[in-house]
Amino acid sequence: MSSTVVSLIQALASGLLVGGVYGLFSIGFSLAFGVMRIVNFAHGELVMLGMYAAYSVYLLTGADPLLAIPIVGIFLTVVGAGLYLVVYERFVGKATLQQLLVAIAISMVIQIILQMIYGPETRGVQSVLGSQYLIYGPFFFSYGQIAAFIVAVICVGVLELLLQKTRWGKLIRAVADDPEAAEIVGANSRAINTVAFAVSCCLAGIAGCVLIIYYPVNPGTGMALMPIALIATVIGGLGSIKGAFLGGIICAIVQQLTSTFWSPALQDVPLYVLLLVFLAFFPFGLLGRKTAH
Amino acid sequence: MSDTAMSPANGVATSRINWRLIVPVAVIALMVLLPFVVGTQSYLLGIAVRAMLFIALGQAWNVVAGIGGQLSLGHGVFFGVGAYGTAILFNSLGLTPWVGGVLGAVASIAVAGLMGAATFRLRGVYFALATVAISLCLEKLARHFIGITGGDAGLAVRFIGDSLSAAQSRSPLPFFFASLVMVVAYYVLTRRLLRSNFGYQLQAVRDDEEAAAASGVPVFRTKMWGLILSAGMTALTGALYVQFYLAIDPGAAFGLGQAIQIQLPSLIGGLGTAGGPVIGGAIMILVSEVTNWLSARTAIHGLDILAYGAILLIVVMFVPGGLLGRTRRGA
Repeated sequence: MSSTVVSLIQALASGLLVGGVYGLFSIGFSLAFGVMRIVNFAHGELVMLGMYAAYSVYLLTGADPLLAIPIVGIFLTVVGAGLYLVVYERFVGKATLQQLLVAIAISMVIQIILQMIYGPETRGVQSVLGSQYLIYGPFFFSYGQIAAFIVAVICVGVLELLLQKTRWGKLIRAVADDPEAAEIVGANSRAINTVAFAVSCCLAGIAGCVLIIYYPVNPGTGMALMPIALIATVIGGLGSIKGAFLGGIICAIVQQLTSTFWSPALQDVPLYVLLLVFLAFFPFGLLGRKTAH
Repeated sequence: MSDTAMSPANGVATSRINWRLIVPVAVIALMVLLPFVVGTQSYLLGIAVRAMLFIALGQAWNVVAGIGGQLSLGHGVFFGVGAYGTAILFNSLGLTPWVGGVLGAVASIAVAGLMGAATFRLRGVYFALATVAISLCLEKLARHFIGITGGDAGLAVRFIGDSLSAAQSRSPLPFFFASLVMVVAYYVLTRRLLRSNFGYQLQAVRDDEEAAAASGVPVFRTKMWGLILSAGMTALTGALYVQFYLAIDPGAAFGLGQAIQIQLPSLIGGLGTAGGPVIGGAIMILVSEVTNWLSARTAIHGLDILAYGAILLIVVMFVPGGLLGRTRRGA
């Protein structure tokens, strides 16, 4: 194999692994938009909160971030429910600019509070998985990324199952698919929205736990992740769960390809271009429904 | 075109004493006297310049966002192009900032044209998100192309000492008057705009795009001219900013923090009003000074950002129109 082909395959495979985690938190972002028409600009900050929470658990107990998933997941679920009831509830269904501004304000507050607690330094954990690599011929993959990908796929599978099989899941899907019709049959209740938003934040927390294994965190991390959730969701189709997962994988692959063949510092630039192209020409994304716009 | 149908809700207060004239004139007179009261070298003048740069950026943003209803989160782009343009032209070609600033504004207007063409098909939140994307993209590029922008560390303007042609001064006094002139000019412009035909068109587009189009307002062109005017004003302020601070970096130019700071004066003071950005900017500088003082005493950093976030949260949730604003406003 020529070195270009090796680099190409390596970039595609790494992109897939990282993309699983992007997909995981993008689903949370998409869920909030699909069900409540809330553009949660603070979503990246919530992922970062999950990363810091897992880091704290690691500091206090020495537990691997993967073991912190349940407690961090519950923590973020509570944070999400609180955030929804206190702040976002009054903006449901409108996707207004006021709502966007409030979300931006929340992201600023979370970011600064975390910076005050943990300082501006970059912090990581010594996970058993993070520093080991699976080597296969000319290719190498971090066990941390592989584990993160597996967790992401499991979570997405479980979420999909819950959405398909349970009563709450069906109600949430009904509201996401067609808010007006769901409201007519009495499905658009405060409880459904609270659950959906809490799930959205829980996914951010789980994504934070798996990200911290191989991605050290600093107070700027949330701002770096938020555009990815936004872009993945727009590419996949605003409000589409499967689309957001697919969008996350596409984002990561584009980043890896840019990084490999152009420059790591510019890995986000094509993503912004993609976002503009999709917003302007394909506002419903790859898998979105026309009603999602 | 019927002007009555499109005139905004806030009418002129027709009391016998015209406060709408007296208050601004009194404030301007007090500001002109300030250097003679506090002394021409006082650090208060530096704070006043900072305040007025804040206010001027807010006024510029207010034109397209407050009056025109297009809530751009990408005004850091115009600010950055103005600031970087002025600094780069001076450093590399020795071009006087008086010309460099104007060229920066022209470049900024060109960027505004492209941005408008790309994003004005989108409405509301989608427009805002598209403008964020453009701003963050430029931030990445500015960090990468070190040869042009100085990268992460930013760009320092070559300091040659007190010079009118280089628009440089050790004393804050010239910048005090320059920024005062800018704020007064932007204030007068905003007031005239609010009563002009173009201003009515902008407000009509803001209040109801379909109704505006139906009554013959060229919606796209109105938004575009609004953005261009706003971009030019923002870039000129950027040029003054870089002359005062003699430095600019990617975060200060294109970062999301900057985009939000540009919005805060109008959001606090009152979107779409002439006085709103002035009052909001003054409040912000007070908050910023107090939190900086607290930060210095407690060694806790970021109190200013925390305060801005909290203020933004409170204003949007509880005073959506701002202090001077009309109380009810939709998206």
